[in-house]
Amino acid sequence: MNSKNRLVWVTWRAGLLACAWAAASLTAGAQAPAPAPAAAAPGATSAAAAPTATAATATAPAAATAEPPPPSVPAPAAEAPGTNGDVRSLDQEVQGAKKDVIDLNKDLFVLEEELLFPANTQVAVFVSMDVGTFFALDSITIKIDNKEVANYLYTAREADALLKGGVHRIYLGNQKVGKHELVAFFTGKGPAERDYRRGATLEFDKGVGAKYLELKITDKVPKHQPEFSVKDWE
Amino acid sequence: MPRRVDRQRSLSGGFVSRGLASRGMAWRGVVQGVILGAVLAALPGGGASAENVKPDPNGLPPHQIEDLHYGDVLFYFFQEDYFQAITRLLAAQELHRIPHSEDEAELLLGGLYLSLGEHVEAGRIFDALLNSHTTEAVRNRAWYYLGKVWYERGYLEESERALRQVSDKIDPRINAERYMLLAQLLMRENRYDDAITALRAWHGAPGWTAYAQFNLGVALVRRDRLADAIPLLDAVGRLRSGSEEFLALKDKANLALGFSLLQSQRAAEARPILERVRIEGPYSSKALLGVGWADANLGEFKRALVPWLALHKRNLLDSAVQESYLAVPYAFSELHADGQAAEYYNSAIESFDGEVQQIDASIADIRAGKLLDRLLGDDKKDTVTWYWQLQHLPDAPETRYLYQLLASNDFQEGLKNYRELNYMSCNLESWRDSLTAFDDIIDTKQRAYAERVPKADAVIASTNLDALNARRTDFESRIDEIEQTNDVAALGTPEEQATWARLKRIEDYLAAHPDDPDLEEMREKHRLMKGVVYWHLSESFKARLWNERRSVRELGVALKETQKRSLLVQQARNSIPAGNGEYAARVADVRARMDTLQARLADIAEQQNRYLQSLAIDELEAQKRRIETYQIQARYALATIYDRASNGTTKSNAAGKSDGAPKEQP
Repeated sequence: MNSKNRLVWVTWRAGLLACAWAAASLTAGAQAPAPAPAAAAPGATSAAAAPTATAATATAPAAATAEPPPPSVPAPAAEAPGTNGDVRSLDQEVQGAKKDVIDLNKDLFVLEEELLFPANTQVAVFVSMDVGTFFALDSITIKIDNKEVANYLYTAREADALLKGGVHRIYLGNQKVGKHELVAFFTGKGPAERDYRRGATLEFDKGVGAKYLELKITDKVPKHQPEFSVKDWE
Repeated sequence: MPRRVDRQRSLSGGFVSRGLASRGMAWRGVVQGVILGAVLAALPGGGASAENVKPDPNGLPPHQIEDLHYGDVLFYFFQEDYFQAITRLLAAQELHRIPHSEDEAELLLGGLYLSLGEHVEAGRIFDALLNSHTTEAVRNRAWYYLGKVWYERGYLEESERALRQVSDKIDPRINAERYMLLAQLLMRENRYDDAITALRAWHGAPGWTAYAQFNLGVALVRRDRLADAIPLLDAVGRLRSGSEEFLALKDKANLALGFSLLQSQRAAEARPILERVRIEGPYSSKALLGVGWADANLGEFKRALVPWLALHKRNLLDSAVQESYLAVPYAFSELHADGQAAEYYNSAIESFDGEVQQIDASIADIRAGKLLDRLLGDDKKDTVTWYWQLQHLPDAPETRYLYQLLASNDFQEGLKNYRELNYMSCNLESWRDSLTAFDDIIDTKQRAYAERVPKADAVIASTNLDALNARRTDFESRIDEIEQTNDVAALGTPEEQATWARLKRIEDYLAAHPDDPDLEEMREKHRLMKGVVYWHLSESFKARLWNERRSVRELGVALKETQKRSLLVQQARNSIPAGNGEYAARVADVRARMDTLQARLADIAEQQNRYLQSLAIDELEAQKRRIETYQIQARYALATIYDRASNGTTKSNAAGKSDGAPKEQP
C-alpha cells in the first residue's frame, strides 16, 4: 500500500472504529426508559454519531494517530443545531404556553357552565358504581318529570373508569324551582350474565341553589344482587 | 359517599407489572404510576372485595370520595383523558366544589400536570405539597417520576435533585430503577467515576443486575479501564435468556466488548465475542463489520470477506453497510484481486452518488416543511400525554435516512412538543364557535330581559304585599274573635249563613210583635228550627275553626314565598343587566386571550418546527458528508489501483515500497 492509499485507509479505519465503538459503547443505559444520550442511536451512523466519537478517535489504532485526519471527515454532530440552553428555553416557552391554554380552557369551561346552567336552575345528575360484581353497566336513561333528559351508553373504558372510582356527570341541565320527579333506568348484565333492567326514582325539591343528585349502583352482597338508588346531595 | 375499588388491580395494572415487564419502555405505565401514586388517596377503598386485598405498602389507607366533582375528575383521569381531567379539576377548585378533597386534588393536579409534560408546574406543586402531610410512599413516587421526567427532558440537575429525594423505603423494583437512572444521569454528564462508584454500590433486583453490569462495564471502558470492564461485559454477553429484552442487551454487551478489544489491538479476542451477536438481531450489521475487521487485523482478508460480503448485500442506509462498500474492495485489494476491487469501488461510487442525490432531495423536502406534516399525518390528535411517541414512520424518502434521529430522545421530545402545541391550538379553535354561541346567549338574555321587565314591573307595581299581609292579620284576628265569641254561624257555609240570617230576621220580627197570638205557632217553629241549625253549626264549628286556622297558616307561608320571590325578582331585575355585562366582558376577555394565545402557539410551533427541521437537516448533512467522504476514499483507492495498473506494479510490490500494510492493522 502506498502512502496515499495508506492515508485514506488509516483515516477511514480510524473513523470506522470510532463510530463502531461509539455505537457499541453508547448502548449504555439501554435498560432505562430514558436512554443515555448515545443509547438513542444503537446503530449510530459513523463517527458523527455521538460525543464519544472524538475520544474514540483519539484512542483508535496507533496508525490512525500517525496521520492527520482528512478535512472531509465529518464533524461530530452530537450538538443539536441549537444549544442546550436554546432547546431548554424553547421547552420552557412551550410549557408556559401550554399552561396558559390549560388555564384558558378552565376559564372557558367555567364560563360555559355559568352561562348555560346558572346555579339557580342547575340540576346535575352523577353516576357512581361500587364494585360491580353483580352488575355490568350498559346504559342509563334518565327522565325528569316524565321527560327524557339523558340516555347514555357506556363504553367498556367508561364503565371501567366508574369501577375504579370515577363519578360520571351524566346530566347537567336547567330545572325550575320546585318539586320534580327523577326516574332512572339502568340496563346491563346482571348476575349469571342475564340481561338486567331496573329503575330507581326520587322526588326532589329544586331550590334556588344548584341541585346535585347521585345515581348509585352498589352490590348487595347478602342477596347477590345489584342495588340501584338515587341520593339527593343537599 | 363510601365506595370501593380494586386498588390493587389499579396499581399493578397501571404501574408495577408494566414497569417490571418492559422496564425499558413502560412510559405509559410510568404515567399511570405517578398519577396513581399521587391519587391513591383519591381511590375509594374498603368493601367486600377490597377487604380481601392486602394493603399496598406504597399506597394510602382506603379513602372515600366525598365530593362528586372530584369523582367526576377521576372519571376522566381513569380513562387517561388527562386534558379533560385537569380542566375539570381546575374548574372544580375555582368553584370550591371539592372542599373535602383539597390535598388529594392538589396532588392529583401535580400528577396531571406531569402527565401533560408540564414538569415545571408539576415540580412547583410537588415542592409545595410533598411535605410532612403526605406519606413517604407518595413523596417517593412523586419525586421519582418527576426525576424521570426531568431526566427525559434533559433537566439533569433538577432530575438528580428529585431522584436523591427519594428514600430507600420504596418498592425495591422502583428503587432499582431509581439507582439505575441516577447512574445513567451521571454517565450522561460524563461523571464516569461517580457512576462507577454508584454502580459498584448498587444492589438491586436480579432482573436489573445485567443492566447494572453493562452500564458499569461501559463506564469503566470510558475511563480506559478495559481490564476491569471485560469480566462485566463478558458476563452480560453470556447471559442465558429467551427474552428479546435480554437478548438485545446481550448483543449490545458483546458488540461493546468486541469493539473495545478491537480498539485495543486485541482482534483475536474480539472475534469470538463479536460472533456471539445474533445474526438476525438489530446489531448484526455492526457485528459483521467488526468480525470482518478482526479477521482483517489478523491478516485474514479472505476470511474477512465472508462477513463483509454478507453485509454488502444489506440495505445501504445502514452505516455499517456503507462501510462494507469500502471494506470489501479493500479486502480484494489486499488479496491482490485489483480487478474485483476496482469493480466494487466503482459500484460503491455509483451507489454513494445515488444516496447523495436522495439525501439532497430529502433535505429539500424538509426545507419545504414537509417533514412534520408527514410524520404526524396519521396521528390521532385526540389525546395529549407526555408518554406519546411516534409509532409509525411514513414511507417518505427522508424518513429512510432519519430512523435513528426520529428514535432519538431529543427529536421525540421536540415532536411531542410540536404535536401538543397543535393539539392546544385545535382545542382553542374548537372553543371559538362556543364563544359566538355565548354572545348569542347573552344577547338573547338581554332581549328577554328587555321584554319581561315592563311586565314584571307592572306585576310588582300592582302587588301590594303589605296590604296582603295586613289582610292576613285581620283575618287571623277575626278567627280569634269568632273562637272567643263562639260565633258558630260565622264559619257556616253560605247556605247555612243565609238560613241563619233568615232565622235572625224572623226572630227580629217575632220580637217586634210579642203580643200577637197568631204568631205563637210561628214562634214555636222558629225556636225549633233555630235549635236545629245551631246544633248543626256547633257540631262542625271546631273542624271549621281548625280549617280556617290552617288556611291562615298557609296564607302566611304563601305570602312569605311571594315576598321571597318578589325580592328575587327585584334582585334579578337589578342584577341581570350587570350580570349580562359581566358575562359579555368575560367573553370578550377570553376571546382576546384566545387570539393572543393562538398567535403565541403558532409562533412557538414554528420555532419548534424549525428546530426539528434543523435537527433533521443536520443529521442528513452529516450522513451526506460521511458518504461523500467514502466517495472520496473510494475514488482515491480506485485511482491508486489504476495507477498501479498503469505502472505495472502489483499491490505487494507497491506495499513493499512503502511502509507495508501489516503495520496499519490494529
